[in-house]
Amino acid sequence: MRILALAAAAVSVHGALDVLSALKRDCFGCHGEGQVLSKLDLRSREAMLKGGARGPAIVPGNAEASLLLAAIEGRKGLQMPPGAKPSAELVAAVREWINGGAVWTAWKEDYKSEDLWAFRQPKPRDKAKTVDAFLGVSTAKADKRTLIRRVTIDLTGLPPTQKEIDEFVKDNSKDAWARLVDRLLASPRYGERWARHWLDVVRYADTNGYSNDFERPNAWRYRDYVIRAFNEDKPYNRFILEQVAGDELFPGNPEALIATGFLRAGPWEHTGMSVEAVTRQMFLDDVTHATAATFLGLTLGCAKCHDHKFDPLPTKDYYRMQAVFATTEFARPKLPFLPTENSSDLAYGKSLLQKVSDDVKTKMERMAPGYQQGRGTLPPDQFEEYKLYQKHNALHKESLDRYEPKAFAVSSGPRNGETDGGANMRYPKRAEYKPADVHVLPGGNIQAPAEKVSPGVLSLLERYGGYPSPVVPETVEGRRAVLANWIANEKNPLTARVMANRIWQYHFGKGLAADANNFGKMGAKPSNPELLDWLASELVESGWSVKAVHRKILNSQAYQAARSEGRRVEAEVLRDSILFVAGELSEERGGPGVFPDINEDVARQPLHRMGSLSPVYRPDALKRIRNRRTIYTFQQRSLVDPMVEVFNGASMDLSCDRRDAATVPTQAFALFNSQFAHDMALAMGARVSNVSELFVRVLGRAPRADELRSATATYRKLLAQHTAAAPAPRAAARPVVHSITSELTGEQHKFTHPESPAAYEHNLHPSEVTPKARALGDIALALINSNEFVYVY
Amino acid sequence: MFTNTRKTALLRPRLGMVSRRDALFGGGMGLGAVALSAMTSPKGPHHKARAKNCIFLLMEGGPSHIDTFDPKPKLDALHMTKFQKERTKFEANMNTGERYYVKSPFTFKRAGKLGVEMNSLFENFAECADDICFYRGLRAESVNHPTALYHLNTGNQFGGDPAVGSWVTYGLGSENKNLPSFVVLPDTAFPQGGAANWSNGFLPAEFQGTPLRAAGAPVLDMAPPAGVTAERQRAVMDLMGALNKGHQQQHPEHAELAARIASYELAFRMQAEMPKVLEIEKESKATLEMYGIGGSNKDTDAVGRRCLLARRMVEAGVRFVQVIVMGWDSHDYIEKAHSARMRAIDKPIAALLKDLKQRGLLDDTLVVWSGEFGRSPDNGIRAGGQAWGRDHNATAMSTWLAGGGVKRGAIVGATDETGLQGVEAVHPIKDFHVTLLHLLGLDDAKLRYLHAGREKQLSQVGGEIIREILA
Repeated sequence: MRILALAAAAVSVHGALDVLSALKRDCFGCHGEGQVLSKLDLRSREAMLKGGARGPAIVPGNAEASLLLAAIEGRKGLQMPPGAKPSAELVAAVREWINGGAVWTAWKEDYKSEDLWAFRQPKPRDKAKTVDAFLGVSTAKADKRTLIRRVTIDLTGLPPTQKEIDEFVKDNSKDAWARLVDRLLASPRYGERWARHWLDVVRYADTNGYSNDFERPNAWRYRDYVIRAFNEDKPYNRFILEQVAGDELFPGNPEALIATGFLRAGPWEHTGMSVEAVTRQMFLDDVTHATAATFLGLTLGCAKCHDHKFDPLPTKDYYRMQAVFATTEFARPKLPFLPTENSSDLAYGKSLLQKVSDDVKTKMERMAPGYQQGRGTLPPDQFEEYKLYQKHNALHKESLDRYEPKAFAVSSGPRNGETDGGANMRYPKRAEYKPADVHVLPGGNIQAPAEKVSPGVLSLLERYGGYPSPVVPETVEGRRAVLANWIANEKNPLTARVMANRIWQYHFGKGLAADANNFGKMGAKPSNPELLDWLASELVESGWSVKAVHRKILNSQAYQAARSEGRRVEAEVLRDSILFVAGELSEERGGPGVFPDINEDVARQPLHRMGSLSPVYRPDALKRIRNRRTIYTFQQRSLVDPMVEVFNGASMDLSCDRRDAATVPTQAFALFNSQFAHDMALAMGARVSNVSELFVRVLGRAPRADELRSATATYRKLLAQHTAAAPAPRAAARPVVHSITSELTGEQHKFTHPESPAAYEHNLHPSEVTPKARALGDIALALINSNEFVYVY
Repeated sequence: MFTNTRKTALLRPRLGMVSRRDALFGGGMGLGAVALSAMTSPKGPHHKARAKNCIFLLMEGGPSHIDTFDPKPKLDALHMTKFQKERTKFEANMNTGERYYVKSPFTFKRAGKLGVEMNSLFENFAECADDICFYRGLRAESVNHPTALYHLNTGNQFGGDPAVGSWVTYGLGSENKNLPSFVVLPDTAFPQGGAANWSNGFLPAEFQGTPLRAAGAPVLDMAPPAGVTAERQRAVMDLMGALNKGHQQQHPEHAELAARIASYELAFRMQAEMPKVLEIEKESKATLEMYGIGGSNKDTDAVGRRCLLARRMVEAGVRFVQVIVMGWDSHDYIEKAHSARMRAIDKPIAALLKDLKQRGLLDDTLVVWSGEFGRSPDNGIRAGGQAWGRDHNATAMSTWLAGGGVKRGAIVGATDETGLQGVEAVHPIKDFHVTLLHLLGLDDAKLRYLHAGREKQLSQVGGEIIREILA
């Protein structure tokens, strides 16, 4: 009996499932399939309740009164199955199952072996093999120019300069490629590039989403933590432990506390209009899904409502895993800035926002002295305006905290006085805290809880991979620690496979298993399972070094092969590359999110914020701040930079395991017509002296003869036009006037937003440069729109 | 390749321009055609469609069914008596504390052959009653604006899933490739929850709703910055075309290159066509007046413009148009605020229905009016008890539908005598979605998309068609 082989603890974990599979194996033969002895059919809960000649087989909730238990225990003159004595573990499991309500799960163990590949242990690998040995086919190598562009964009998210290209092309030493790879992996740009992949998966954002879209003011420290982790090649198992349970496993370690921001990365809001139990449940569902998808490549969504139709993921397992997070509470504890964090602009940023915030307060006090403190009166005709200031005040209050040394984190049980749940969330004192019970919620319905569950891990890895399920304590602390250790373990058959696959996918555009977040039945089967396992073992055996896996892949012939199809670069690479080739990129690193120049219509768009309007979007005044890499831009769920959005940026609500690269016409508008594209093109035009230099800057190469001919001809034509017509001077800034339909009057109210307190450092304007620079700028525009610039081969 | 199925003279593409573009980009018709068909995936309906297009009038904030289309005289008797209801832990803070029944401050009159009762302020809309199917059985699940809006707009209370309009355009494809097929006409401000209300979610980007902002360019960056002449644009484009041509010769097997070249062509056709759809000033004075646009129509101008645009979009082959009207969240001062909102929509929505009908478009167009939830029969004491309003109510609401495939002049479903709960023909939002898809020729169970290893659908897990509202 397979059941007997399981450890005692495991039987109690598996509960109903094991009972049902034992019944199927040992009992159905006589009681349901083919024959129905004693008129007893055991194949459904209904049939058991109906029972046979001797009466009902089960009395849900009362095992001792149930004939089924009596029969397997050899009581009441019964002894089943005939000639076999079931194990004590099975008897205990049956008792627990009946006492727990005899919940019948629809789950059937009829999985095909090939659908379970990811849950089984990999075979021991031949360490001496190489990536190429698995792929077999030798293809022509790409030329060196293509290769350096490919690997530089791949590892750093920016194109190589002409100097870098030339040096590599000229370098005929044997290890030229390996040294290039090492140089790029050592670049701080590497972390900025690869952290973005991770942030896609975890849905990083700087705001909460939903109605108010309040800032999560210290989330940026998690973003920088991820960048540091990649740059330092933090062992991947440690990276997992810190994110899932850094607070429990490494108390006092600031990095580990910041890392727990992962658990809160999803959208979240609680207001007076939300139901607390619902908000909490949304968090629990979110964190359960996110943890499984991110680290285990499992899509648990289905199991929230019913046993998973395709994968061995019973609903009960889902809620067991959810119970691990039942004591996870939000926290925003004080945490001094680290020497590795960039705090250089905090005072500057704070002074500006403080001024805006103070102005709002002054206006409120002027309109209705003392009203905010519960004194005085407010004329009804001013209420709408006052409400706007109240809203801005509430938003500013959160945002100002981004400059404070606090962590966006969690704790097991609330931390006294340091909870972080918004004004409407009631937190008990730590001493009074009792972990909430977690129940199976059939259909995901919070109002109809079924069976209570204890915390646990997903049973499928023990079932199919022989990886034992640990016991998760029911204490306030320590639940996540067990889960984290269970995930970040070399014996966990999913963890290393999932990460090795992600790494492969970002290098090749397609994973060895094509659905990086789904290693279950519905996910695509790996095209080369042996190679995936070999890379997963490399990850583990290298001490969980992500860079070691990069090296194995990048040094292969497979990576260096010529490719017939290119890939369009992602939105961030595109924006960063344009800034870079324009000479406008600021490579300052880390710190609170920055506000780049974005489409003006979007910047000026009024946004409803529960009962009022958001403050207006203002790009950062200083170029060195607003022109930083896209990963450092403020990620606002309700206001996405269209330059990123239109080029298929990642959703901040759904985990993005692979970027879409669909081509849509609005991309042409963004790249050909936007102010950003024109500003950058002009900056380039002003920096070069001829057309050839532009080719070198943008494409990293000199123009071919035919290209030089057509570009020069176009340049001359445009130069004539620019010389003949002087551009109008820079237009004065238009005031931002917003109107809202008032909930109180049903009528329109208008507000003029205040100017930014900082003087905007303008981008170059056509009226400030020569006709030559303007004409060269136009050529630059053609170049950044060209297919060669946006595709990488 | 460039034909739109609905042949309106206004929007037939100018072939001269098209060939000019093809010459410009050096791609040639053949390549462009291949690329474009790869970019859109018109699948066509699953069964015979009752409607080809949909105009969804979204009343953001949750209009009060009790004060609009489902009056409750019983509340006159209960006014200011204590509201009794068992309080559970599934209650928002907003709905706790001491509460009282509140009567409607409005008068109602009967309209149409059926004599359906509606607020007397609907002077114009009352004339459309015989074309309307009023539905009083819809049930939301969340009393929180953003989650309820996401639910109504995407089928999922969490943001991030595809909007109804995205599913519809994914299922039916585009009728006019030179225009976006899913257009959103927001109020002055984007709604709570923002652009996720018209997100393509996990569907390909081409199915994203395109918001036409109240101010600024109709489509972002449709025009270059001020001062850039067409001549300059042409020169830059020619150069780009030449560079792309050379590049393509070096990468002959890379099919996507042609698609990207074609996308520039499509963008510039959109640039030419979109402004024409937006030229509502070209409409007759009578039409503008009917919609309540311009002149002395201060209250109705903004909604009137959006409703007229919706008609023009549908006419031009836009598949799904969502018009958003905000300001219905009347926790306080409902008399003043709801009056203003009803006045703002009465003339425009009546005009939209009459206009669609007179042009023969109503048979092919499904018009839906709904908020994200209804409102409560009770209220807490606020503002000294002088500011009656109503809070959120997910268990009762009013919606109505008109046009392709729905009953004309009917009331379906009912709420209880205080308007607290739906009691007849009660259906969840997912059934509403399944029904909308059904009317548009789509079967929710077949309209699926594999995302993260799971076949997803608008209803999430399947739902029933609300047969009672079908003609």
